[in-house]
This record gives sequence, structure tokens and C-alpha cells, in this order.
Amino acid sequence: MIADDMLEVAVAEWAEAAREARDGGLPFLELLTVVDRGDELDVVARMSDASGRLSLGLMTRVAADAPRIESLAAVLPAASWHEREVAEMFGVVFDGHPDPRPLLLRGTAGAPPLRRGTPLAVRLERAWPGEVEPASRRRSRQQLPPGVRPEWLPGGSA
Amino acid sequence: MTAPTPHHFIALIEDACTSCLICVQECPTWCISLDSHHEEVSEPGARRPRTVSVLDDFRIDYGLCMYCGICVDLCPFDALEWRPRVGYQAEGRDDLVHDIARLDGGTSDG
Repeated sequence: MIADDMLEVAVAEWAEAAREARDGGLPFLELLTVVDRGDELDVVARMSDASGRLSLGLMTRVAADAPRIESLAAVLPAASWHEREVAEMFGVVFDGHPDPRPLLLRGTAGAPPLRRGTPLAVRLERAWPGEVEPASRRRSRQQLPPGVRPEWLPGGSA
Repeated sequence: MTAPTPHHFIALIEDACTSCLICVQECPTWCISLDSHHEEVSEPGARRPRTVSVLDDFRIDYGLCMYCGICVDLCPFDALEWRPRVGYQAEGRDDLVHDIARLDGGTSDG
């Protein structure tokens, strides 16, 4: 078990690294997802052997403003659905994907929902229940409700 | 060490609640809401009446709750606690909102 083993590769070597891991005894794709770091997105994949005891993490970084990376679907067909999900949730374009339809969302309008900068519409539409002040005590400290980022609000810093 | 209480259901101990709103404000899913009002209580021997907050209703929307338990952990008066209970089946979305009567800490289905 080498669960902490994470190999960072250049974007250009992403598919090649996955091919080498596959041919080197790690043929199963366990996970492919993205972590939003702000300016960059970490694309993360984890591959394992048949027993599941040996695994390797692969990681690369793409720019957040135009995230683009080669699809792993040709190397690992199992990557196809993961990449469709990452594409709709994080707005990453997978070059050479055989079937780039959205997987879970209906339509692709609007900002990718799992990106940190995307306002969660329901948080802005609904009144925060914590705003009710039945004890007529105003908290001195202005606080944002949980799940609301300052840049979503009018006049908020981006 | 006792076995941990299963995270099935969050019970409200009404008498302990002071309507301080900490649970409502800290809930990440905004699933708790409460109503309360002020009453003046005159106690014999006191120089002036005391103002107390009275809880009118307390609701948890189990359609939104993710059972994180932050409300239970943060309540300064231990008015919320985990209780084992099953039986969340609901006819509709609105039925998943449990009001003060359904949060009474019952341990049976319902």
C-alpha cells in the first residue's frame, strides 16, 4: 500500500504517465477528479493494481482560466465518465474525449458548479435563517452566512 | 468508554434551548430555523422584571441536513443531542421538515 505516493507530471505528459502506470502493473483507474486551487486546477488520478493494495496517484496542474488537458479515455476507457463529470463540474476541456456529453447535469449553461468562484444560486436566492434576530440582539461582528463567499455579493472583492 | 450514539436523529431538548441562534447560524446547509419572542418575567423580590426569550418553534429540514453534528457540538446549553431513531419516510418534501413537536426526542418511529 503506497497510498501517499503522488507523482506530479507535466500536462503534456499526462496521458503518457497514465499509459506507463497502466502498463507497469496498475491497470485500474480508481479516481479522476480536480481540486480547485484558485489560479490553477490540480487534476488528480489514482491507479491501482488488481489486488487494490498497490496504487499510485498522478497529478498535474492546468491553468484555471482555460483548463485543457488530454483525455485519458484512449488509455483507460474507465476515465470516460470521470472526465465527463469533471468537464461539467469544473469546466475542464478534455482533448480527444470520445463522448464529451454532460454526464449528470442537464445542459451546460452557466458556470461550472464545483468551481470555488461559482456562486451557489440557492445561497443568494434564499434568506439566511440566521438573519432572524428574535432576541433583538445584533451581533457586533458582521459575518457572512456559511457557504457564502464575499466575492458573490454585490460590491464584494473578487 | 461507552459506545458512540448513532447519528440518526437530532433531538431538541426544548427546556434547555435559549433561542441563541448559534446552531442556526453555524449550520452549513441552512437546515435549521427557529422562531422566538421576548417575555418579561416578574419574580418575587426582584427589583425589575427580567426579559427572557421564549422559543416558539424550531425546525430542522431533514431534506437538507447532512448529519454533520456541528449544531450538536456547538450548542452551549446542550439543547441538541443525537438520538437513535429511524423512520424518515415522507410523503413529500415538506414532510421532511420536522418542527418542534417532532423534534421532541422521541426514540420511536414517527
